[in-house]
Amino acid sequence: MISYLVTVVILVSIAALVGLALNLQWGLAGLVNFGVAGFVALGAYTLAISAPHVGWLAGMVLAAAVCAGLSMLLSLLTIRLEENYLAIVTIGFAEIVRILLLNLGELTGGALGIADIPRPFAGVTPAGWGDAVILAFALGLVVIVFAFSEALVRSPFGRALRAVRDDATAAAALGKPVLALRVRAFAIGGAIMGLAGALHAFFLTYIDPSQFTPIITAYAFMAVIAGGRGSNLGLVLGAGSIMLILEATRFLKDVIPGVDGVQLSALRLGMIGVGIVLLLILRPEGLVSEPKRRFADFFPPESEKA
Amino acid sequence: MALQLFLNGLVTGLLLALPALALTLVFGILRFANFAVGALLTLGAYAAYTANVVLGLPLPIAAAFAAGTVALASLIADALVFERLRTRGSITLLVASMGVSLVVENICRFIFGNAARSFDLAVARPMRWNGLRINHEQLITAGVVIIALVLLHLLITASPLGRAMRAVADNASLAAVRGVERRTIARITFALTGALIGLAGVLAGLDRAIDPLMGWNYQIPIFAAAILGGLGSPIGAVAGALLIGVAEEMSALVLPVSFRQIVSFGVILLLLLFRANGLFGAKAIRK
Repeated sequence: MISYLVTVVILVSIAALVGLALNLQWGLAGLVNFGVAGFVALGAYTLAISAPHVGWLAGMVLAAAVCAGLSMLLSLLTIRLEENYLAIVTIGFAEIVRILLLNLGELTGGALGIADIPRPFAGVTPAGWGDAVILAFALGLVVIVFAFSEALVRSPFGRALRAVRDDATAAAALGKPVLALRVRAFAIGGAIMGLAGALHAFFLTYIDPSQFTPIITAYAFMAVIAGGRGSNLGLVLGAGSIMLILEATRFLKDVIPGVDGVQLSALRLGMIGVGIVLLLILRPEGLVSEPKRRFADFFPPESEKA
Repeated sequence: MALQLFLNGLVTGLLLALPALALTLVFGILRFANFAVGALLTLGAYAAYTANVVLGLPLPIAAAFAAGTVALASLIADALVFERLRTRGSITLLVASMGVSLVVENICRFIFGNAARSFDLAVARPMRWNGLRINHEQLITAGVVIIALVLLHLLITASPLGRAMRAVADNASLAAVRGVERRTIARITFALTGALIGLAGVLAGLDRAIDPLMGWNYQIPIFAAAILGGLGSPIGAVAGALLIGVAEEMSALVLPVSFRQIVSFGVILLLLLFRANGLFGAKAIRK
């Protein structure tokens, strides 16, 4: 039971990281990324391939850097175009990543994947503490990325991004470098997705292409929509509650008679779809709406400073 | 060998033409790329499978049933989802269409499971002509699509309905002033494009096994075709589909077959680099 709970918490952590990244790209910068699963897979594989040679920390940095670089390239290609094009290119990107992972056998192990991925601190972990260490590591990573995202939202960079999202023409007229802002936001989001992939690889210590289906993308969108676009706190709550609901529905099989495993998974995935549509229609602002930030939040009046 | 691949590519391209056309027509009216195209194609294949194998009806009737089913599904999706979100911008509609796509795909999976299925069709020996092999499924596909395209072309260019559709796509407010109701035209467009996608689903089911993810395999080529022709341009979508079909099949000359799908994506990337408006010049650059 304990190890099951650990699993759930780590899955929530991975979902939260992916959600925070998408929240930055879509919620804050208005750039829709349908290739989330591809970036997570790329992060996981970069780590799995590099970590045995360069160590886990350098492997993580590399995973983030590769994903950031490719995000930057994709966004540079499409960012002048209508939103629809970025969406299409990212969905194509995820598909290409999947095909390459399956077919570049010497590097990725093909359909068999890569096993024995070293975990962080594996050498100094006492026997039997493996789960505890990876749990602490996952939570630590979420806290760091969360703090970073919050700082980003409050920074001048975050303010400019919101301005670009809400009215790109006005932001450009005020001298904001619209293109550069968008590319940077997309790249940072990609880097966080790479980290989420790295955590995924550390946790399972075994990865194969079947783990990175477009469902990851759907979860992430559901989390961002449920939590509230632009709100990091709402995002973590959203990611947590969705993962809990999904995990809880695993047990439905024992309750509903006559439903087999495939039907149950179809029900759960269909639910995600229904959830996305219902939330978009009924509660577009999500659980926690994006805080309205005023001038005074950034520049307190002189009297308060004293 | 090359000529054979070219021929196969043309047939593949004709198959892609119907959903690519559907995508581009909906884009013209609602200004969003409907990601549910792939899932609706799957639904069409399963609807035809139900009529053909479960109910034992002949394939042409099954195809009509599939077209009707997907048209109805498109109308329902429009009424329940897209119309309600119409004012909220294309990104919201895009995300919503992803939700719709998940729902449709999993309804199919819930009812039919993950096992691959196929139509009840006698296997016929392919015809040979000057060393080229043409099988019956390819002939059916080519014939059906060409007839559908000609009818659709007449509808769009030479009927009052087609004129109204073009008017709404061009400028919805101006069309409304002239008494063309956007809502009615949007409904008709969804029903029409649904029928096209359903038909394409049946043709795809002739070509390959029917499973819940079959539509997913066509998703990227369909989008590549529509972008290649310039989103919103019907003639462009057909030309784009033929080019993508031929490019995918001909790629077998230089690439391993498993890399085929990369070709469509490569075409999209090259196009966005050098000619973002597509071959037939729809406006893609945002303000």
